[in-house]
This record gives sequence, structure tokens and C-alpha cells, in this order.
Amino acid sequence: MSVVEQAQGAKTKAPNGSRFWWYLLRRIGQGLIVILLVTLIVFALLHLALPEGPAVGVLGMQATQEQIEAFNRENGFDLPVWQQYLNFLGQLVRGDLGDSFKLNRPVADAIGQRLPKTLVLALISMLVALAIAIPMGILQAVRRGKLLDYVLTTWNFVVYSTPSFFLGLILVVVFAQWLHLVPAQAPQGDTVADVLAKPAGLVLPVATAALGIIATFSRYMRSATIDNLSEDYVRTARAKGTSVPVVIRRHVVRNSLTPVIAMLGYYLPVMFGGMIVVESLFNYPGMGLLFWTSAQTSDYPVLLGCIMVIAVATVVGSLLADIIQALLDPRTRGEFS
Amino acid sequence: MSASLLEVRDLRVEFRTDDGPVEAVKGIDLDVREGEVLALVGESGSGKSVTAMAVLGLLPGSAAVTGSIRLGDRELLGLAEKAMNGVRGAEISMVFQEPMTALNPSMRIGDQITEALLNHRSMSKADAWARAVELLARVGIPDPERRARSYPHELSGGQRQRVVIAIALACEPRLIIADEPTTALDVTVQAEILDLIRTLARESGTAFLLVTHNMGVVADIADRVAVMFRGSMVEVGASRDVLLRPHEDYTKKLLGAVPTLPEGAPVAGAEPERSGAEPVLELSEVAVTYRRGGRTFRALDGVSLSIGKGEILGLVGESGSGKSTLGRAALGLLPLSAGEMRLFGQKVGRGGVSRREERRLRGRVGTVFQDPGSSLDPRMTVGEAIAEPMLVQRRVHPRSARERSARVAELLEAVELPASYANRYPHELSGGQRQRIGLARAIALDPELIIADEPTSALDVSVQAAVLEVLRTLQERFRFACLFISHDLAVVHEISDRVAIMLRGGIVETGTADEVLLAPQHPYSRRLLASVPVPDPDAQAQRREARLAVGA
Amino acid sequence: MSTVTLSAPPTRSPRQRGLRRFLGNRLAVFGIVTIALFLIFCFLGPLVYPTDQVHTDLKSTMLPPGAAGHPLGTDDVGYDVLGRLMVGGQISILIGLAAGVLATVIGTLWGAIAGYVGGAVDAVMMRVVDAGIAIPATFLLLILSAIMRPSVPLMIIVIGFVSWLVPARLVRAESISLKSREYVLALRAMGGTHSRAVLRHIVPNTVGTIVVNATFQVADAILLVAYISFLGMGLQKPATDWGAMLTSGITYTYAGAWWLIFPAGVCIVLTVCAFNSIGDGLRDFFDVKGRNA
Repeated sequence: MSVVEQAQGAKTKAPNGSRFWWYLLRRIGQGLIVILLVTLIVFALLHLALPEGPAVGVLGMQATQEQIEAFNRENGFDLPVWQQYLNFLGQLVRGDLGDSFKLNRPVADAIGQRLPKTLVLALISMLVALAIAIPMGILQAVRRGKLLDYVLTTWNFVVYSTPSFFLGLILVVVFAQWLHLVPAQAPQGDTVADVLAKPAGLVLPVATAALGIIATFSRYMRSATIDNLSEDYVRTARAKGTSVPVVIRRHVVRNSLTPVIAMLGYYLPVMFGGMIVVESLFNYPGMGLLFWTSAQTSDYPVLLGCIMVIAVATVVGSLLADIIQALLDPRTRGEFS
Repeated sequence: MSASLLEVRDLRVEFRTDDGPVEAVKGIDLDVREGEVLALVGESGSGKSVTAMAVLGLLPGSAAVTGSIRLGDRELLGLAEKAMNGVRGAEISMVFQEPMTALNPSMRIGDQITEALLNHRSMSKADAWARAVELLARVGIPDPERRARSYPHELSGGQRQRVVIAIALACEPRLIIADEPTTALDVTVQAEILDLIRTLARESGTAFLLVTHNMGVVADIADRVAVMFRGSMVEVGASRDVLLRPHEDYTKKLLGAVPTLPEGAPVAGAEPERSGAEPVLELSEVAVTYRRGGRTFRALDGVSLSIGKGEILGLVGESGSGKSTLGRAALGLLPLSAGEMRLFGQKVGRGGVSRREERRLRGRVGTVFQDPGSSLDPRMTVGEAIAEPMLVQRRVHPRSARERSARVAELLEAVELPASYANRYPHELSGGQRQRIGLARAIALDPELIIADEPTSALDVSVQAAVLEVLRTLQERFRFACLFISHDLAVVHEISDRVAIMLRGGIVETGTADEVLLAPQHPYSRRLLASVPVPDPDAQAQRREARLAVGA
Repeated sequence: MSTVTLSAPPTRSPRQRGLRRFLGNRLAVFGIVTIALFLIFCFLGPLVYPTDQVHTDLKSTMLPPGAAGHPLGTDDVGYDVLGRLMVGGQISILIGLAAGVLATVIGTLWGAIAGYVGGAVDAVMMRVVDAGIAIPATFLLLILSAIMRPSVPLMIIVIGFVSWLVPARLVRAESISLKSREYVLALRAMGGTHSRAVLRHIVPNTVGTIVVNATFQVADAILLVAYISFLGMGLQKPATDWGAMLTSGITYTYAGAWWLIFPAGVCIVLTVCAFNSIGDGLRDFFDVKGRNA
């Protein structure tokens, strides 16, 4: 083998692990900046909502002017805005999300009690949805242009265009009202265990959430698979005599999954957003329902606390998704730009 | 006369496209004999690749194939998929053009080879892996045990192509179809891959159907050659006959258009006059670095060159040599990390003239790029594209709309295109026509320097000859200087006064075209020159012996 | 290094091929027809079939479809459902279109600048987009609705501000890929300015992506309006939109008053589906990778 070839080969050799750590560091740094920006947005919203501070919210409508001023002095709400912001940041770092106006407990408590249940619902829905969406997407890609692809695409289209509450409503009417197969209300309870104790009540909420996810992710999987099917290495594999189903299983699926996994991280906020609707429709005692009821009662600390939690979860989630994607693809393990 | 291994009779391939049915192959006959290397040549649109893919049934669903393809006594056309899979990789294998994308990026090399083995032989995984390592050694990959566990991105293009060949060899097929196997490789790497193919053919008696457009490759390796044009077979015969004494007009035309390096020593005293005037472009100890993921990479290092008025400097190098980087830096598209650049005697870049002044200076430089598909904005008409330099530099060269149209017509004429083309869009023109438009745009402001970055590399050989002719005529007429960047040594020799050879970011040799390309001094230049195949089988055989004697 | 295939001019321009693909896409054609029908229904309908959507008529509440003078029945305060569909549709479609366009305009400018300028400016601009994406749209909309009771213009602005993030990302990606095209490089090499590059070369070549995405934005905006109203933070009565109709109807599901729910729901689904189909068809027309899949 020639010197020239060897020299060229040396250039593309995978470097040592230190590059990966630099990449990780950079991504974490980016994530922190994003979280900081979110705190700015949240703080701005807080001020927009309560220009005079939370005094009236906490003390009630009957608070006198002196009471309000005393409250503000004690809690630092008479300080200039930028100082309030720094205090706010300090609070957040300590994990203190403030106190709810209407629930008589710290926000972190309220959220902490509800969040696990939402996560459970989201997780189950996601798993069910992916278990269906991924094979569906692959199937559609392989049978592209045929009747099956057309039917499934149209179905996904319609589901994608339907508001989830309407979908849920139809499910409730059909399966709960008419067929009496499952209860229309979600199981109630304070802990995850309570909720899981009556799985029948979870069927409709999970189904409602999952249908929307399936519509989106099977489209991603379909397009990723189609892209990969036209790659050169698929042609090489076929030229070796590998049959098409095996080519898909061995070569295409792995390479198609990576972009889909990347999407998962960015899908988190959409998921949470959907949870409000599903939880309020089925009366599921999760964070989404908490958010909705707090919006009705203008309980701003709870609202903003929820946003912070979700934002942090999204940043962490997308970071994890990127890392997993990098680890899966041997190329990005080596080179980062 | 060895028996026919593969017999193709009256093969027709028709594609269903948006524009209606297109016949890519119009009834051809082809024979491949046991143990021979048959080259299938043609320009783009000839149908040669389609023919190759049809043999193994790898054409897309929109293709309708009729005729007969017999392997020995078996008819391959219309064979059930399962039976066809038995043939693919076992009796007939295929090697494709692009080594960079031919391998699955997330699968180890060894696994990709064992896949071919396990498809057709029942052996244990361990045995298959051992055989894979053997194959890697056979195709010349050093340290095969370690390499078998590597991923494709860790190998260079040439190495990857060797792996693809190893995969093709795995089950010892009787025929290997290679579709432009060396087109995407550097010339030195190409020489080595061709050596490998020749050795394999000789040692194992495997027949090769080699699809290519490069006549030098044909001369180097093929026993027989078949020439195709627009879906039909034009001429078939022994390579010595076809290459040296072609019968058909098309073959003659094709061979005539191939640029060749003349043999023999340079004519002494052919030094072109260097006028005392200052050079139009001058680079002194220029360096350009790229940052990639925290790592710096010196694309150019300590490069100095100068181009005098009216002089054509050819810049040659393989991939990674930095020639494109140099072109971009000269165009002001890349910042210099060290060194100085002077354009028409004035310093440009950091510490040089103001941005506005530099933009004015750039109006005296014309550019021609490589890819006819993207060098023109698809949303602008040809006339608008050619007139754009005039609009950009309107402060220096004010022209009314009418004057601009007149100039556009003039320019179209100069590149030998009808003036009515001014209202057409790029997608309506062929690649060669688009490159001419690029030339017209480049000379729009009567430049004193033209920088051409691989202007003909993406064109067919006959189109290339035409475009080069236009460039040469323009240069004689308008006397601009030119920086002609290319990897094709023969083309560079035909057009340049002086030549510089680049390797890994530096210039290793400069001189007149004859000096550098016919009697090179530097070892790398020598190796580079020795690797270029010429379309004369006898001469090529001699060159090959000489090259192998020196030792690669 | 591939050789160019054309030796003779192709028979059809990309535009003609695109048109053919668009018209061949039956869903896309269905989409256009549907939208046209809905526009006629919502905006011309009340002229042909005038109903009182302001004053309640407590004498004729909860009438099922087919009752005299009420083809689709009446709701719980006596409004005629068919007429309400028209009026609600006007609002839904209006907000959807306006918010979708607003989101596209903001997102395009943001993305084009970030992509072309690159470097630190790009990094900062994209972090802002990331921050916006990290907050779910419904959450943000609920908070904003809690702070300021929405009117139609306010809803348009708010939805637009929540939705511009996706087009920003897309246009930025296009911008980045275009700025290294050879015709842009050629312009810079001949002394052209950055603004000329952006205005004359990058933006016109991004039109495909922008337009395709705009239709998807409109579809999403109509859905968002429905969500907001469902969550009770939408417009105040007597103004209404399809989402609000659904909300008030849900309380009567168990009473079997299906005509309060399904007409509105079906209207939403059809309209959003139609816009999505048009977007898909346009994507084929421009031969562009608009949204993922």
C-alpha cells in the first residue's frame, strides 16, 4: 500500500476520547445558556403578570396598602428589577420555586407530588407509541407508494390534524360510553402506585396521547428509512446477495433509528404540552392538570414553576438524545464539529 | 478462444420518468469470456452503467428490462429474487464507484465481509471472520486483523475500495463487475487499485467487466473493449485494435478528445517570456488553517507563487493537496492565517487595502467553478447571470441596461453560444453549455486574471475538449492570466505555460509545463506522472513496468 | 466525480414538473378544494343563511338537528349551530392564517440572518430559539391568556410569537446550505456584497421552504386556537371559534347531544387536514425538504 494512501488514511482515523469530552462540555454550556434564557423569560412573564409583585396574590384582595408595602419590604419586592432577578435566580438554584398563592404549600412540593404521575403517563404513552410507530414507519417505507402506505399515511394525516381532545372525546364516547369497556375517568390518587393500581383507567389517556405520537413518529421513521434505502451501502449489500428483508433489518433500521432518537429529545415539550389536554380531559392527577387549574385561578408561582421544570427537563432530554445519538454512530464518536 | 462466460443478447432497458419513457439501452450484444478483462466504455448517457446493473438485477423498479443475459447456460433475466440472490456475490459480484458511501458506516469492516461469505456458504462465524482477515490481506490492507475490527470512516478512499473488492472476492466469483471503480480515486491510488485488479484477474482467473470512461484505464488493464454511445454498441474488439486503430467515427472522435501527455523529453528553451511587469497575483508564504471540532488542520503551509500578466499557471494535486484551498484563498473566500497576498500589486486581506477597494480589485478577476449544476443561480436567467459582474461593479464600470444586454450578446458569441440563450434558465442547458456560460460571466469585465477551479472535471471527455478549446481561444484573444486548478495532468499540460505541483498543503515543484510534467524532479511528481495511464496499450505497459520497477 | 448526464435540454422545466406532481397528489388537490369550500361557507354563508349569534334564545335551547329552522340544531343557550359554525369558522381560519403568516415572517428573518451571518451571532440567536422550544406552546399560551384576556388581535400575536421557532430553524438550515453554493461564492469572488448575496440569491432560493412551512404553520395555528379555547382561555362569548364550540359541547356529551360536538370537531379536522395536504403538495412542487416527513 502506498505512502500516499497511508497518509490519507491516517488523517481520517478516529481520535482519542478527549474530543468527546470537549463536545460534551460545549453542549452542557449551551444547555445552561438556554436555561438561563428561560429564567429570563419566566421572570419577564412574572413581572408582566404581576407588575406590583405577588403581594395581592398572597395576602388576598382585601390586603391594605400598608400590608402590601410591608410584605414587599420583607420579601425584597421593592428592590430594583435586576436585583429581584438575581434573587429569583438564587432561589431557583436552591430549588425553591416559590409558594403557591392558592394551594398553601410551596410550589416545588405541589409539582413534586404531581410530576411523577405525569412522567409515568408520558413514559407509558411514549413506549406504546414507539412500539407501534417504528415498525409502522419501516413498513410504510418498504411498501412505499403501495396501497398500505397510502392508507397509513392518510390515517396518520387525519390523526395529526385532529385536536387531541377531540380524539380523546371520540375514544371516550365509543369505548367508555357505548361499549363500556374501560372507565372514562383516569384513576385518582396521590402517588404513582395509586395510579398504577387501576390500569384500566389508564387505557384511554394512554391511547389518546399515543395516537398523536404515533402519527408524528411513524412519519419520521418512514422518511428516515426511505432516505437510508437509497444509500449506496444498501446497494452494496444487495449486490452481496443479501435479501431485502435482511438488508432492512441489518443495515437500514439501525441507521434510521439515530435521527429518530435525536427527535425524542426535542419532542419532550410537545409531550408535556399534550399532557395538559389529556390530563384535563380525563381528570388525571398529574402536572398538566395542576397547570390548568392554576391557570384558572391565576396561581402564577405554580404556573412558572411548572415551566421551569419542563424547560430543564427538555434541555436535559435533548442533551441526552444528542449524546446517545453520538454514541450510536461510530462516525460522530470520532469527529465532532 | 475461451468460452463465453456471460452472454448478453439484445438487451433493452427503458425507464419510466416524469418526462415519459426513456430508453437507456437500445438492444446491445455483449460477451464476457472466462478470465478476461472487458472494458465497457462510453460517456455519460451511453448506458454503460445501466447495462452493468441490469446483469445483477439491481436496477430500480422504474426500469423495464428485456432481452437475454445468460451466465453459462442459465438465463439471469427474469430469475426469481431468491435465485438471483444466490447468484449475487457468489457467481457474479459487483464493485461500485463511490468507496466513501459503499460501506455501512455503523458496521465493522469484518462483519461486512463475513456477510458476503455467510450469505452463500455455511461456515461458522469464526471461520468466516478468519477468511475475512485473509481477504483483507490479499487485497493489500496492512494489519488486517486490526483493520477488520475498524469502521469504514477510519479508512481512506483507496482503502475502502480495497475492502469493497475484498467483499466482491469473498466467494470467489467467476465474474466481477466493476462500475467506474477508480473514478473517485486519486491518480496514484487508481494506479494501485488497477494493479490489484490485474493481479487478481491473473491469479484467480476471475473475469472482470470494467465500466469506465477513462481510456487510459482501458489501455492499462483491459484485454478487450466495447464502446457504447447513447444506448447502442458502437465498436467491440481487442483493446490494442480499438485504441490504436479505431474503425468507427465515434470511437475516433472519442479517442481524439482525450487529452494526452506527450512522451519524451521537453523541448529545450521553451521558457515563456516573463515580462518585467508586476505579477497579477502573488502569494508569499501563505498559510490557511481550518478548525474542525477543536482541532486545527493546516490546509496550506508556506505556499509562495506568482502569476505574471497573460500567463497560464496550472496547479495540480491530488485530494488533500490544498489546491482548491489555494484557489479559494486567492479568490478572497478564505482568510489567510499567515503570509501575504498581493492582487495586481496591492496587498489584500488582513492589513491590506480596505474592503471596498478589495471588492473593486476583485472586479478585475473572473472565476470559473467546477460544478455546472451549482455555479449558476437556478432562479436567474443566463443573461442575468452573465450581467451580474457588471451590476456588482457598476461604480467602476457603469453601464446602462441596454449596454449590458449588448455586452451579454457579445460574450455569448465569444463562448460560441447563440445570443438567444440569454433568456434561458440554467436547467435548460447541458453541463458543457453551463460551463461556457460560467466562462462568459468570468470574462464579462475584461478581467486580467481568471481563476478556474476544476472547470472541466465534471464534464464528459468530448465536452471537456470543446470547453477547453473555448478557454484557449478566449485567452489568446483577450490575453488574461489564468490560475488553472485541476487534478488532470494531461489537461493541465495542454493548457498551461507553467505548472506547480502540490502535495499536502505545499508546493513541491514548479517550472514550465514541459519541465514539470515531462521531466519531473521531485519524487512525488515522478510518482504522480508515472501513475497517469495513457490510452496506448503498448506505451502504457512500458510505463507500468517502469513504475513498478521503481516500487510503489 | 460524476459526469453530467445532459447532452440535450430536458423536456420540462422544474416548474412544470412540479405542477404536475402537485396536481397528481390527490390529497393536495382535495386540500385546495376543501379550503375554498370552507372559505365560502364561513364568509359567504352568513349572507345566505343569516342567524343571530349575539342574542341568546332561551326558548329554543338544545334542539336536535332537523328542528324547524335549525338544520344542525341549537346549543345550550339557543344559538343556531350551523350559523355558529360559520361565525366560529371565520375566527378560527382568520386567526390561523394571520398567526401562521406572522410566525413565518418572523421565523424566516431570524433564521436567514442567523444562518448567513454565522458565528457568535448565530449561536446566540439559536439559543434563544432553543429556549423558546423548551417551553411548550400550550403552557405559554395558557399563561399569556391568564395574564391578558385574549381578543382576536392578541391571539394572533401570541400564537405567532409562539410558533416562529420552527420556521427559524428551517430557514437557518437552508441559509447555511445555500451560502456555500458556488453561485454565492462566485458573487463574493466578483466583489459582491453580503446584502446582495442574501437578497438576490439566498432568499429567492429559500422561497420553497418558506411557503411550504407557512402552510404547515397555518394548520398548526388553527389547532392551537382550538386547544386554547378548549382549555377555556379563548375568546369570550358571544364571540366563538370551533374550539370553544367543542368545549361547551363536551359537557353535554353524556346527554347524547352529539350535534354540539361533532360538527365543530369535523370542521377543525377537515380544515387542518386540508392545509397540511396543501403543504405536502407544495413540498412536492418545490421539491423541497420542508418539515420532517
